[in-house]
Amino acid sequence: MSNISRTIYEIQSLDALAKEKRWINELHPLVKICVTMLYIGMTVSFPKYCLGGLLAMAVYPVILFTVGELSFRAGLRRLRIVLPLVCVVGVFNPFFDREIYAYLGKVAVSGGVLSMVTLMLKGVFTVFASYLLIATTTVEKICYALRMLHLPKLFVTQLLLIYRYIGVLSEEAGRITRAYELRAPGQKGIHVKAWGTLVGQLLLRSMDRAEQIYESMCLRGYQGEFYYGDKIKMRGRDIVYLCIWTAALIALRCLPVTEKIGSLFM
Amino acid sequence: MSHIHMEIEQLSFSYEKKVPVLKDISFFAGERESIGVIGANGVGKSTLLKLLVGLHLDFEGSIRIEEIPLEKKTLGKIREKIGYVFQDADSQLFMPNVFEDAAFAPRNYGLPEEEVNRRVEMALRAVHIEHLREKPIYKLSGGEKKLASIAVILTMLPDIILMDEPSIALDPRNRRNLIAILNQFDHLKIIASHDLDFIWDTCERTILMADGGIVCDGRTEDILRDEKLLEEHGLELPLSIYRNNHAGYAENANI
Repeated sequence: MSNISRTIYEIQSLDALAKEKRWINELHPLVKICVTMLYIGMTVSFPKYCLGGLLAMAVYPVILFTVGELSFRAGLRRLRIVLPLVCVVGVFNPFFDREIYAYLGKVAVSGGVLSMVTLMLKGVFTVFASYLLIATTTVEKICYALRMLHLPKLFVTQLLLIYRYIGVLSEEAGRITRAYELRAPGQKGIHVKAWGTLVGQLLLRSMDRAEQIYESMCLRGYQGEFYYGDKIKMRGRDIVYLCIWTAALIALRCLPVTEKIGSLFM
Repeated sequence: MSHIHMEIEQLSFSYEKKVPVLKDISFFAGERESIGVIGANGVGKSTLLKLLVGLHLDFEGSIRIEEIPLEKKTLGKIREKIGYVFQDADSQLFMPNVFEDAAFAPRNYGLPEEEVNRRVEMALRAVHIEHLREKPIYKLSGGEKKLASIAVILTMLPDIILMDEPSIALDPRNRRNLIAILNQFDHLKIIASHDLDFIWDTCERTILMADGGIVCDGRTEDILRDEKLLEEHGLELPLSIYRNNHAGYAENANI
């Protein structure tokens, strides 16, 4: 399978994953968005040397991966492009902040290393939280919940259309590269000389497809706003889920949970 | 659904100045008529259909649907009456699965969810793809996409159906199925196609186009049997007629 075909497959399989009939997928999208936002907010609010406290925030992704029956390995594989970027963020910290902050056995740990690890963990956790949201909620439901939060119609529609057009763009790219590969047997990748032409072709073709899709939408009564079907009702379990996670996340952020657990073993 | 007609008068259109695509097209399409628009590649069949549904409004002449002139302010009202099936089904279907796509139009027209469900069920049943209800669009075969793209316009309960090359990508069974569906639809339908056998099976009236204009407008039987006329305009007899006219062609062609 070529890289582009794999990308298309991954987008489609993520869509399929979000549509599965698991209890976590059936939760109200607004609740899931609120919990995700709260989690991200709490996670990034940890001070830069507070690695111990931050480690406790791993509870959320671990529980959701386990209870939600999601494959951790598949999640990690899907995030392989984003995670290195997240990790690069703090890579220069050890050079600027060399003051010894703690000892790990006999190994001195500088403030820079500690803040780098903290930053990386924050990045990894927030990316995982976002992944967990989109792996359990379709983009239409996310947009529905965003409209409930009174986000502007224009913004939400843009989000939905961008998501849709990623698929269109990838499909066109897949077609072009397949046609190229079939006429360039034995060649690895696309030759530099062909890049310009192919990118130009891709742009023109995807614009053409996008225009036709827009025409198709207009012909079926689209006037700038998507309708997401029946109103999704908030049920008791949604409230329970929200309350439990809100309490748990506040506790994890405010109480020295890892220290308490550590002291049990000391 | 009600029976309505369409009147086109001196319609001309060009994408670029001085390169006319359609020239002085006039015809009247009566309610319940089935009209086939045929012609060689690039004669303007698809453009004509796009104009009829208001995808380009910078045309000369007039298009009237049930006495309502096609213009920007009447576009919404007119589009509610017309179902347009694109040549490329991939461009028509954009929602995640068949149900969502079929529900798109009725939801946009503000129908309650119960009615949306009823219409979607009805449309899927009409084209015999009820089993594809929840199937993601990207997993459909070419033929299934074509049938789904017809179902998504049937949910609008259109008074007029415009179809651009509807038989492309259909296998023989689905093709027969589509012919039967179209023959049951007793409202105005205009079908642009190269597939003259399909036109033969679905349309009583045919418009032959060449160089952006109408060459001939008459009974399908008369036009599609006129080998000379068809050949003059880059077409050939439908296979079914050819077979009758040229008995023994199969032996000669070693088929």
